[in-house]
Amino acid sequence: MSQTWFQSTNARVAGAFAVAAALQIVGTLLIPGYSAPFAIRALLVIASLLAVASIGQTLVVILGGIDLSIPFIIGFANVVAAQLYGAGWNFALVCVIVGVLAVLIGALNGLISRGLDIHPLIVTLGVGMIVQGAVLLWTGGFPSGSAPAAVSAFVSIGGSVGPLPVPALVPCVAVLTLLVALVLARTAYGRRLYALGSNPGAAPLALIDPVRMWTVTYAASAFFAAAAGVLLLGFTGSAYGDVGQPYLFQTIAAVVVGGAALVGGRGNYFGTIAGVLVLTEINTLLIGLGFRPSTMQAALGLVIVLLVSLYGRERHVSATI
Amino acid sequence: MSGFRRMAERWRGAGFATVLLVILIAVNLLLNPSRFHPSAWGALIGLAAPLIGAALASAPVILAGRGGIDISVGPLMGFVNAIVIQLLFLKLGISSPLVIVPAALLIGAIVGAANGFLATVVRIQPIVATLGTYLILTGMTLTILPAPIGPAPVWLKAMAGPWSALPLALIFLFWWLVRQTPYYDQLMAVGSDDRAAYTAGVPVTKVRFIAYVMTGILAACAGLMLTALIGSADPNIGPTYTLIAIAAVALGGVSLAGGRGGLLGAAIGAIDIFLLQSVLTAFNVSTYVLQIAYGVILVVAVIMTALQERLSGRKG
Amino acid sequence: MADRATLSVRSLVIAPGASPVTQAIAPGEIVGLAGLDGHGQERFLKVLAGLERPAAGDVTIEARAITSFRKAVASGIAYLPRDRRSTGIFPTQSVLDNFAVSTLSRDMRFGLLSFAARRRRYEAYREKLSIVAPRPDASITTLSGGNQQKVLLARALALEPAILLLNDPTRGVDVATRHVLYDVFRGLAADGMALVILSSEIEEILLLCHRVLVFREQQVAAEITGNEMKSDTVIAAMFGRAA
Repeated sequence: MSQTWFQSTNARVAGAFAVAAALQIVGTLLIPGYSAPFAIRALLVIASLLAVASIGQTLVVILGGIDLSIPFIIGFANVVAAQLYGAGWNFALVCVIVGVLAVLIGALNGLISRGLDIHPLIVTLGVGMIVQGAVLLWTGGFPSGSAPAAVSAFVSIGGSVGPLPVPALVPCVAVLTLLVALVLARTAYGRRLYALGSNPGAAPLALIDPVRMWTVTYAASAFFAAAAGVLLLGFTGSAYGDVGQPYLFQTIAAVVVGGAALVGGRGNYFGTIAGVLVLTEINTLLIGLGFRPSTMQAALGLVIVLLVSLYGRERHVSATI
Repeated sequence: MSGFRRMAERWRGAGFATVLLVILIAVNLLLNPSRFHPSAWGALIGLAAPLIGAALASAPVILAGRGGIDISVGPLMGFVNAIVIQLLFLKLGISSPLVIVPAALLIGAIVGAANGFLATVVRIQPIVATLGTYLILTGMTLTILPAPIGPAPVWLKAMAGPWSALPLALIFLFWWLVRQTPYYDQLMAVGSDDRAAYTAGVPVTKVRFIAYVMTGILAACAGLMLTALIGSADPNIGPTYTLIAIAAVALGGVSLAGGRGGLLGAAIGAIDIFLLQSVLTAFNVSTYVLQIAYGVILVVAVIMTALQERLSGRKG
Repeated sequence: MADRATLSVRSLVIAPGASPVTQAIAPGEIVGLAGLDGHGQERFLKVLAGLERPAAGDVTIEARAITSFRKAVASGIAYLPRDRRSTGIFPTQSVLDNFAVSTLSRDMRFGLLSFAARRRRYEAYREKLSIVAPRPDASITTLSGGNQQKVLLARALALEPAILLLNDPTRGVDVATRHVLYDVFRGLAADGMALVILSSEIEEILLLCHRVLVFREQQVAAEITGNEMKSDTVIAAMFGRAA
């Protein structure tokens, strides 16, 4: 009970950043070329993609929910954007269409979950499966098309912007991070998001409309997932419906490693960024150490559990009375 | 409370799932009478058993409340499957059920205890703790068993055929016994309000820990049923059961917030999903349409369950 | 927002079969609601706040009907809930956040929340209610129950209401804080605010209120004013006996 907001959340975020830095040092010591410019660039790009996909999960977790539709929306945006662009559509129009559809799907997630009081785990899973099925049906399972060169250049590991030796994606994500943090800390939406996640029972008396908040937040989550899907199209070069699958657990893990509580009302996007860096570092390190994918997965699980048990522990029930 | 009212109470939570069950059985009988002929029941139950088992396994931790969930149920099924076939049967040449069954249950109990330790003693959020074990188990399974391999012992395969109802019956017997103990009341009390339960002297941590161990043991049973069904070992099948099992539990009227519902509801939810797959397959549509329909019906079903609970809540 | 307004209750039936209530609560008045638990006084208060729908009749402020909580607040009503933990505080949020959450728009400068403006607003109420919070940016759960209650009262007062509805405001609050709150309530009434106080403690009602509505079986069993305001009279009415 004596923990203040600063002690709990900020310490968790700082802890996660420290772990990411420590992993970078370990990698540099163990693996030749781990801190080479190209390796760092690759790490930043991969982390940026995960960071975009994790924005929505962060918002939704602060609200006290969870979004399992993120990987399906990523796949949806990835395939639909490629398919339409491949059919000769204007890419800006394609992005608008994908964005609007994603927002509608996300809004539906929030509306059903809060409006009818059904656990978002089930709703987002069901909606996600529908979306994935629809995409598969439309493409017959074999999506075609590609991304315009501009998107590929935007995310290319070898790219650069002006004097910066990184593709435009990285500074853009840095700016986006500040924007998300600003929205969370300094807007009515942000403050209401924390309040609603903190105590849903008290929210209506504080003039917060829970259904509206959930609808807007899940819509935002889907929007950023779609953005990640389009960026991944540029990154991999061709459409792939299952491209989002690794992001299901990674976004949740990033948010939690970054210090947010899944019961709501806690966490911030800097924490998620720290979590994203930790996860990306672990992945890169394990690949660099020559682990097989199967061993890597096991090691990743172990590391997540270890990290969260270091600083992500919840209070005992006796401390909540 | 009289036995009858208790019974009614138990069915009410799973009300919509039960209605759906009746409809789905009728539709299945019309569409595919031979598949649902009594002589085929053994194989039919065997086919449904892993999903039912996975749903039953997912239930205890969910009942225990405060975000209790175990997403490692599917991977644990796969891990048991890999150990039983690859290690015990093929490498060590053990085929006796007297060794295989206890070994499988022991693995389940150990993994369940590990999850329980992480979620209740270390107090990591359950979804994260079991995500960790999900990844660890999936990784270990793939390491032991990089590719599918067979066969399975003959007695085990019979568990997916003529004897398929036996393991499920044993699980229900086990749960019936649990319901007779004070532990069951403690579990439901902790699930609906852990603070009140703690204040009333219920050992909350211990109750939740035991729920995780039960989930682990039941997941091992589901793993055996899966092994019986596929008659081999396959590292990729287990994890696919995870989310569907949780959906089945929710469909069966078990509140994901804890403290409400039971194993019967979870089983009905799982049977619903199985019959649904069966109906959709009978229409011979593409797997894509199947998946859309599947998602739609899942969402509609949970919406109906929520509406029905609201209505019955208002009447009561 | 109306600074002074009369809250009119016309033929209000809170539960089917109960006799209607007609009341006018004037600016500067402190009205107490008493009754045994569950006899309708809480429901009455919630109907006034637009949180529950009556069986019949209506509640208006200056010809504006109160049919929802939002309308109630827009018409100048503020409501302080009974259960701090479940419907009052936001436990993961700071004292300042908890104070400002209902009135976020007032701290907006160029579309962004100004922490300085929020702090200034908070300081005014901190002084008025003598809130003891060494660090307003620390979690509200670091405060004592009485100070949490004061922050919630500050949240309600920040709406600058004409009518303040208080649902058992001193529940779980220490004696010293209680007297601070009493002084605050009297001061608010003196400034022209109308207060409706539901309390489970008769002494508190007798100490504060100008008149008392005693509820029994979902209707007003007695309205007690002036010299009649004694605990035996109120208790007698609560139990449905003649005094």
